[in-house]
Order: sequence, then C-alpha cells, then structure tokens
Amino acid sequence: MKKIRGIGVVAFAGVAALALSGCQQGSASNGSDGDEGGAVTLQFQSLSDQPATQDAVKSIVDEWNGENEDVQVEIVQAGWDGTFDKLITQFTGGTAPDIIHYEASSIVSFASDGYLADLTDHIDDDLKADISEGIWDSVTQDGEIIAYPSTLQSYMVFANADLLEAAGVEMPSGDTMTWEELREIAQATTTGGNYGLGWGLGSPTATMMSLSLGFDGGYFEGEGTDASIEVGDAELAVPELIHEMTYTDESVEPTSLTQSGSEVLASFYGGKVAMTVQGSFQATNIANDAPEGLNWVALPPLEGSAGAIQAANPQTYSVNIDSEYVEESAEFLNFFTSGENLAQIAYADALIPSSDSARAEVETLAADNPAWTQVLASGDGLEGPPFLKVEKYTEWKDTIATPAFQQYLADQITREELATQLTDGWTDIAD
Amino acid sequence: MSTSATKAPREVKKTPRAVNRVGYRARAQRREAIGLVVPALLPIIIFSVIPLVSGVALGFTDATLRRNAEINFIGFGNFIELLGDHRFWGSFGIGIVWAGSVALLTLICAMGLALLLNSDLRLKGLTRVLALIPWAMPPVVIAIVWRMIYNPNSGPLNGVLESVGIPGVNWLGDFSTALPAVIVVGVWAGIPQTTVLLLAGMQSVSSEQHEAAAVDGAGAFRRFWHITLPSLRPIIFAVTALDFIWQFNSFGLIYVLTEGGPGGRTMIPPLFTYLEAFRNREIGYASAMGDVLVIAIMLILSLYLVNQFRQTKGARS
Repeated sequence: MKKIRGIGVVAFAGVAALALSGCQQGSASNGSDGDEGGAVTLQFQSLSDQPATQDAVKSIVDEWNGENEDVQVEIVQAGWDGTFDKLITQFTGGTAPDIIHYEASSIVSFASDGYLADLTDHIDDDLKADISEGIWDSVTQDGEIIAYPSTLQSYMVFANADLLEAAGVEMPSGDTMTWEELREIAQATTTGGNYGLGWGLGSPTATMMSLSLGFDGGYFEGEGTDASIEVGDAELAVPELIHEMTYTDESVEPTSLTQSGSEVLASFYGGKVAMTVQGSFQATNIANDAPEGLNWVALPPLEGSAGAIQAANPQTYSVNIDSEYVEESAEFLNFFTSGENLAQIAYADALIPSSDSARAEVETLAADNPAWTQVLASGDGLEGPPFLKVEKYTEWKDTIATPAFQQYLADQITREELATQLTDGWTDIAD
Repeated sequence: MSTSATKAPREVKKTPRAVNRVGYRARAQRREAIGLVVPALLPIIIFSVIPLVSGVALGFTDATLRRNAEINFIGFGNFIELLGDHRFWGSFGIGIVWAGSVALLTLICAMGLALLLNSDLRLKGLTRVLALIPWAMPPVVIAIVWRMIYNPNSGPLNGVLESVGIPGVNWLGDFSTALPAVIVVGVWAGIPQTTVLLLAGMQSVSSEQHEAAAVDGAGAFRRFWHITLPSLRPIIFAVTALDFIWQFNSFGLIYVLTEGGPGGRTMIPPLFTYLEAFRNREIGYASAMGDVLVIAIMLILSLYLVNQFRQTKGARS
C-alpha cells in the first residue's frame, strides 16, 4: 500500500509541477529581463502591416539598437485585425509588451482602465512643440498624455481618370470638392452595369464619425463618463447623402456598402466602379497593385457645409504602465517619432505625419507624386473629434453604431430609426 | 488455491488485533483507488472544474477587465439587468433559429448521405472517406473557404448564377440572405459526424428484417420508414440534441463569416457574449449571460428529450 501511495504522491507532484510551470509561463511578463550585461530589452508591438512601412520601422529600430547598446528594442509584429481583443487579453494576463502601437480612439479604453503609463513628463520638448495642440489633445486623458501621436489617416476619393473622361466629366481641380460634385460625378459615371462610386462601408462607423465633422456633426458632447450624444441633422447628413446616392441616384454600388475597403479596390481595379472612397493609406496599395494602364488619380478632399473637415484620429505609441522600463521606452519613442523617422513611416504608409517637421520632410519626399498633394491637402482639415474623449466610444461603436449604420445603409431602417437606435443605444450603455 | 493458502496464516495472525478484517481490506482498496484516481482527477479539477465554477461565480459579481479591478459580489444584479436586455434576447432568438435549423437540416442531409453510403455502391470505401473531409477542416478554414464561395464580386456561386442569367446575390451582406447563407455553411460542416453516427446505426440494423420485409413486398421507402427509422430513433435523438448544443455554442464559423453582421442579423449568443466580455470589458455581466445560456439550453433539451422518451415508451407499450 505504501508503494501505491508513493505513486500517488509522485503523480500529484508531477501534475502540480506541470500546472505551476504552465502558470508561470503565462505570467512571465514583458520578457524584459536585463540579466545579460545589464542590457534592457523592450518589446515593441508594431501593427504596421504594409511591407514598405515594416521596412521603415525595422530600419529605425535597427538604428536605435546600433546606437544604444544597453536598451535594445525587439519588434513584435502584429496586425490591425482583432488588436483590441488581443490587447485586452495581453493586459489582463500581464503579458502586454512594453511599447504598444494602436490608434487614439481605441486606446482611450485602455487608458481609462488604467493600463497606460502617463508620458507627460517624458516627451521631448522639441517634439511637443512640433505637434499641434489639437493632436496632443486627442491623446490626452484626464490631463495625462497617454501616447505619442504618429500618423493620421484621412478619407480620400480615388478616381479612374479614363472612366471620368469617357463620361465627359471634368476633373475637379479646386482645393476641395463638395459632396454635390461627388454626387454629380457619380451619377455621370454610372452607366450600364457599372457604378460611379464603390465605398467599402462594411464597418461604417469610423467613416461616418469622421466625415460628419464636415457638416459639424460631432455626435458627442462632454468627456469621459459624462458624455452625452446628439444625433441631429448635422450628424445624419453624411449617412443620408450616401443613402440617397445609393437608393435615389443608384450611383453607389450597393454591394460595396457591405464590404471592406480593400475588397472594393478589386472592383475599382476592374473598372466596375469609377471612383472609390478609401483611407489615404490605400494610395500606397493602389500604386503597387493597380493593373498596368489604370489611370488613377486622387481627387481633392471632400467638403461639407462646415468645410473639408475630417476627424484626426492618430495612430499612437503608448507605454504599458506595468513595464519595468517606462522611461527607456519613452526615450525610444522620442527617437522613433522624431521628424525624420516619422516622415519615413508616414511616407511609406501614405499617411499624414502628426508633427510639422515630419510633414515638411514628407513634402520634399513626395514632391513629384500628385496623389500625395491631395493626401497632404486633406491633412489640413483634420480636427480632434469629440468621440476621442468618450470613454465608452469603442463599446458604442461596435455594439450599437455599426449594426445601426449597416441597417440604414441596407435600407432596412429609416433615418429616424437610425437616430433613435444610435441615441437609445448610447443611453443603454452609458448608465 | 495457492493464494488462499499463503493468505490464511497471515489472517490467523492478525485476528486478535484487527477489529474487522473486511473493513481493513475495504479501506486498503479505497486508498488504492484514490491513488489511481487522483492523477486523472487533478487535471480535470484544475483545468475544468475550477475555471467552470469561477466562471459561474463571476456572473454574480461586477467584475470588469480594468487594471487591478475590485470585484464585488452583487447577487442577482446581473441577471436582473439581463432580463431587460432586449439586445441579448434578440441574439438569443437568432441563436435558437440558427442552432435549430442547422441541427434539423444536418439530420435530413446526413440521413440521405448515410443511406447512400450504406447501400452497396462501387468505390464505397472512397466515398465514405470523401464524406468525412469537411470534418477534418477547422471551422476557421471552412469559414474562409465559404467566404470566397459567397464573394459577391468574384465568388464561384454568383459566377454560376450570372452565367445562367440570374443576377448575383450579396449572400453574406444582404439582410435577408445572411442568416440562411450562414446556416448552409453550418449544415455543410456538421454533416460528416452526423453521417458517421447514422451510418454506424444503420449497419447495426439486422439485414434479416429488411429481407423479410422485402419478401413481404415492402418497397424501399416503406422499409426505410418502418424498419430503419424506428431502429435509428435513439441515435437520432442523441445526434440532434448534441448538434443543437454544439451549434448553439459555435463561435469560430460565424465570427469569421460575418462577425455577427450585417446589422446584427447573425449575432448568435456566443458572439454577443464575446463582445460584452472583450469589447465592453464587463466580464461579470458576460459570465451572467453564459450562465443563462447554459440554463436555457438545458431547459430546451430536457423538454425535447423527455418528450421524445415519452413517445418512444408510448410506441413500445
């Protein structure tokens, strides 16, 4: 009997050891142990997924690693898809990296949950002066700067110049283009089985929130948990215009409204749609992937009743509050977001850099690229949107706004029902 | 013989001290059993029972995923809130439609396939293996393949439709077709295992009965209706019940196909709970949803099974 009990004990010990070692692996956080000659290793989770941008990020990191023997940075490559879910599990499991790449509107939730370090005192003074107050404001939560803003996206209209010409449309040449002009061109270029406009609005909320600013439609008022929602004519202007173009003018391809931006690009390449609205970063993809002979142009930024305004929702680099090396991480980020480096990243991604010096740099880099002129022009109208300050914005966006906009764009509900869903949904969430 | 011979003297020796011999042996056996069971039980407790219990318990707290969040016991607060949550119940309804129709359609399709595979056709071995292939594919892969098939612009399905003059359909993006389209994928993925179980059942039906019925002049359909189907009845119950549970809890397939869209039309409860837990970071509330789902499924199934058993009993007596 003793022998058997012995076996039991051994088995127990074995299982326990297995279980414990399993747990330990899970909580070995940050991987930033400095046991080898005092060198610190920082984990840097980067989401940049375009090859050119990845190269730019890598060369900047390599340069830093070469100059700083004692603080080494290791890139952990991740993708944009599902980042929110990934980060929330990493943070709760204590395995989040030291440096976190994301975007302002989504990082707010993590800041309010207390996972991000206050970087106010770490940011380089030159850098601080180089970036506008409005953009700093977009990454400030409760008086703490919780991220370095890096690059900004705007929505651009890309057009197939040949199809526009064939339809006898004059290429818009002003500094901006009104929605009326867009509508007319879309109508003129809708012929036979082809549509004037393809717009990937499968996840419509971000686009709606951004372009609505052009009509002074801010959706939210107030900050943090006290924010209140207002869905009026100004807010509904953009959804209504798209709805009318789709169902009254029939100049927007209805299928595209359920797809992602990149799926619609295929139709654009195939000449099935004459124009497509995309994030500015797609300029790089179009330049790389468009079939030979596709004569594409970027049209001037869209102008609503309040101007050519879109939401400034910068990509961000934040530091994990539980990192042992907050200071080192911030130092790296000061280097990483310096004018020259940021310009490289922005140029590779076809995004607008947040700092003035980087913008000047991009202007020289892109001097001979006409698409870039429009990308940079659209950057002039970027303003900090109210939703960045709203703590439960991500929640509202994913569970209320996205299905509601989808239903409206599919002509399943009326304008009034859309407004009610958006407002009542917020009330449900907020209390 | 030899064992009893060797044991006998020992027992004699012990008689004066041992209060009762049977008790000693029973205790020894019990200890032996514990020694053997513990290694198997421990992983179950650590990896299954503890997470399950703590998951259930979380439903009674206000836990969130905040950093160093304070967790307070709030009794039935979450459940009371859940009662009035019309979005959750909407999603619950979609879940019932999804799981019910997938389970039912899978049964019908699998029955047909199993009958086909059970008949004496050529290349029987090959076709049986082919029928199993969807089973070997992970749900995510299935979903990606079907997304391509359903693609409104370049998918083969619309390609075929358009070549015969029917306008293409935006299968996963259109409000009226999204749920049916997803159900078709669910059925396709669920057929193999149901087929295998039904096929095994069919092969246990004795061929004499079929022969006797055939001699009496019963056609193929009557033989199926009066012999195959009744003997498959317990298997059919088990399979549909299991299918219903699995499908109700399935996540990967729909997450990849539609992410609950368009406009929440395919938002089945696991997706809804997932959003609540990881997007809204209210894991207490999300756990309460999980608790409710388990209870609801158990209720529905017990109704179904009790009803079916009663029918079986009635049929026999």
